Amino acid sequence: MSWIQILTYLCGAIFIVGFAAKLLKYATMPMHVRWELYPIPHEGKHKSYGGSFYEEIDHWKQERHKDHMAMYMFMLPEILFIRALYEDNKSLWYWSFPFHFGLYLSIAGLAFLTIGAFLQLLGLPPATAIGSFVQSLTILFGVVGYILGLIGVVGLVIKRMTDTELSEVSAPIDYMNLIWLGAIFLTGLLVWFQDPGFAISREYLVSIITFSPMKAQLSLMHYLNLLIFLGFFAYFPFTHMTHMVSKYFMWDKVKFDDDPNRGDPGVDAKIKTYLGYPVTWSAAHIDAQGGRRNWAEIATTNPWTKKEEK
Amino acid sequence: MKPEEISKPGEQLVDLNPQNFATLPPPYENYKESPVAPLTDDQKTRWEHSLDGVSALTLPKPQTPEEEEKLVASFLSGLEKLMTKENNWTFMQPLMLSLEYCAKCQTCADACPVFEASGHKDIYRPTFRADVLRKVAKKYLSPGGKILAGFRGHDIDLNWDLVARLAELAYRCTLCRRCASVCPVGVDNGLITHELRKLFSQELGIAAAEIHEKGSVKHLKFGSSTGMTTAAIGDIIEYLEDDIEEKTGKRIKIPLNKKGAEILLVHNAGEFMSWPENPMAFAILFDAAGIDYTISTDLVGYDAVNYGLWYDDVQFARVAIKHLEIARELGVKKIVIGECGHAHKALSVIADRLLPGDQLIPRESSYTLLWDIVKSGKIKFDPSKNDFPVTLHDPCNAVRLMGIVKPQREVLRAITPPGRFREMTPHGVENYCCGGGSGFAIMSSGNFTDWKIKLSGRKKLQQILGAFQGEMDPELKKMVCAPCSNCKGQIRDIMETYEVYEKTGIWYTGLVEMMVNAMVEQEQPFLDWPGEDEDDDM
Ligand code: SF4
Ligand code: SF4
Ligand code: SF4
Repeated sequence: MSWIQILTYLCGAIFIVGFAAKLLKYATMPMHVRWELYPIPHEGKHKSYGGSFYEEIDHWKQERHKDHMAMYMFMLPEILFIRALYEDNKSLWYWSFPFHFGLYLSIAGLAFLTIGAFLQLLGLPPATAIGSFVQSLTILFGVVGYILGLIGVVGLVIKRMTDTELSEVSAPIDYMNLIWLGAIFLTGLLVWFQDPGFAISREYLVSIITFSPMKAQLSLMHYLNLLIFLGFFAYFPFTHMTHMVSKYFMWDKVKFDDDPNRGDPGVDAKIKTYLGYPVTWSAAHIDAQGGRRNWAEIATTNPWTKKEEK
Repeated sequence: MKPEEISKPGEQLVDLNPQNFATLPPPYENYKESPVAPLTDDQKTRWEHSLDGVSALTLPKPQTPEEEEKLVASFLSGLEKLMTKENNWTFMQPLMLSLEYCAKCQTCADACPVFEASGHKDIYRPTFRADVLRKVAKKYLSPGGKILAGFRGHDIDLNWDLVARLAELAYRCTLCRRCASVCPVGVDNGLITHELRKLFSQELGIAAAEIHEKGSVKHLKFGSSTGMTTAAIGDIIEYLEDDIEEKTGKRIKIPLNKKGAEILLVHNAGEFMSWPENPMAFAILFDAAGIDYTISTDLVGYDAVNYGLWYDDVQFARVAIKHLEIARELGVKKIVIGECGHAHKALSVIADRLLPGDQLIPRESSYTLLWDIVKSGKIKFDPSKNDFPVTLHDPCNAVRLMGIVKPQREVLRAITPPGRFREMTPHGVENYCCGGGSGFAIMSSGNFTDWKIKLSGRKKLQQILGAFQGEMDPELKKMVCAPCSNCKGQIRDIMETYEVYEKTGIWYTGLVEMMVNAMVEQEQPFLDWPGEDEDDDM
């Protein structure tokens, strides 16, 4: 096994562990108090103006109905086309959209390349109809993705540098991240010039999947593209570019989480645990006594009447 | 201006120039705006004001370098506590997400009424205070945070200048969360302000006096943030009954502490003092609709406000728990929240996951119930009694943050003649805060009043004037319906400063007052316009 293969496994492992740790970090945080923000799409079409169940008399007596379809219909354009930016910050959207869309397409290209590798292992190389179809998709998604991504990167770097509103808040690392991604797109494109059917790349993936030595020889450009990509792959989970994580949690678990507490045993158990947490806030009015008192105790004490209440 | 500059020593970080403030629509197109009133020299020597020359907190200057150091260390330890589940289970997840994920796109800036009104002052950008906090957390609290801090963009100096300015900056945002609703990655800069205020209050004991000592402390000590005691509330209710009799010719009994009543009605107690017609109107409507309700005179129970919502989770919990406990003791089926936006959100939404389900009592908005009363047909309304142009202010807390959008509109449509009601632009969940949110409406220390009127309230003034363009003749009376006590307070202050009624004929009121005004049964007009009544509080 060659050093580049070992490096590929290593970077892949770092990515998986890093990203999983990140998801786990947020997923295991306590259930917070409600902090929703309307409009909430699952409140249904008749609430498209941003209404909620609070508009119904005796809402707690009514069956709770969540319109999941409306939710998906909202999230899809939000993720694919970055609608929030389109509506509220168009001059940035012109660059951010091709950048993100290019990224999605090139990821899809990589997915098709992987499918192609599996097909090849099953005896269905590009010479077969299905193999050739997958290969065409790989090329289409990959190449269009690289081009769009590259346009986006160039636009975003220029925009960030020239728009004082953005340049003031940008650090060198922000430019570095963009340029790093741009380098992946650019070298990917150059790989395609040399290897128009991504045949060598597919061979490489086959070797990775089967843990076996490579059959084809990688070109210098392949090496370059792979190294830049692998570095980014391992670095990515530790950056704020993982904002798809916040997109999931902030939407699903914060802005759109309007589930009323109707005494669900799971929710009750959580609340009871939290109320038992010791408090160490130092301000005098909290009277936490350096962690000797818990939330339940301080919240049910009125220090100004000095009356302990249950 | 870069967020790092907040630590720069100096007398004042930015100057507020009224020439840069956003312009106002006619008849104020040539209005010469005056500067935000400066602090006196004496005040300047005593209070921190190095952010923008404004002091909302009247924060005393530390006397020795040791004292400064101690405060800075407390700040950092408070920040650390904000990021632990034990001390901050209530908001840790959204806070950590918001701190980690800003994509620095500045989409939120254009959504912020304060930033816009100031003429785009960088310190008021929604991201500014968030960025400062983020950078301090990264540099001082994350492992290896000082390595390559400049390259990674968080090389900020944590010193007293930063802490003092950040404390003030926590009180330049109304927590309206308009910024959060446009952020493409879901970052909530309003929440960051909220957490920052908590850090100052819960760790350093620093908060605006009007919301802490004179607010939630009074609430828990005397029963109401207005200082109205449990002994006084009974008398006040009696006065209201007298006034109702005077206005309607009918003696109505306002039920107090009635065990087993269907509804516990809670008002923002500020209404009793500043706008007694509001609780009076509720009493008239509930009586006419035959609603079985009660008002509590128990400590905390007659004041729906919960200022902890804006700055302190512990104070919040103490008040919310008391509200729920009183309702349980009375054995009511639900709590109905009067015209107070933040009380709506506090008790309905935030308190919802504070206690296990069996200790909760259903909470309902008065807007919803009022709409139900209109729909029931139990009260006859004559819309022609409200024959003047009307616009509606959407209290952020009840609208964007709770999704109660339609009921108040339906009520207004039912009680005004066709064509009289018009929306502000934008409205509903996209509304702008009145500028009095997060406690500003009641805050008046230092020179803050001037700031909140000229800056945080500016956008609302633009919107109100915008709704009546072409009808600015002061002889033509026009009404802003603001179904929130705090919003009314802020709108009143804006109107006074800019002499809006005198120049344009625009006045303000709540929703129930307009409903009673339209009641067929009601012989005299219920609404007071300035100048009509000797004792109006204009
Ligand atoms: S809109 Fe969101 S991501 Fe963009 S700068 Fe504001 S907080 Fe950051
Ligand atoms: S919450 Fe409102 S006032 Fe505060 S930063 Fe956001 S938009 Fe501005
Ligand atoms: S005072 Fe009124 S408009 Fe302003 S934040 Fe509160 S509810 Fe919203």
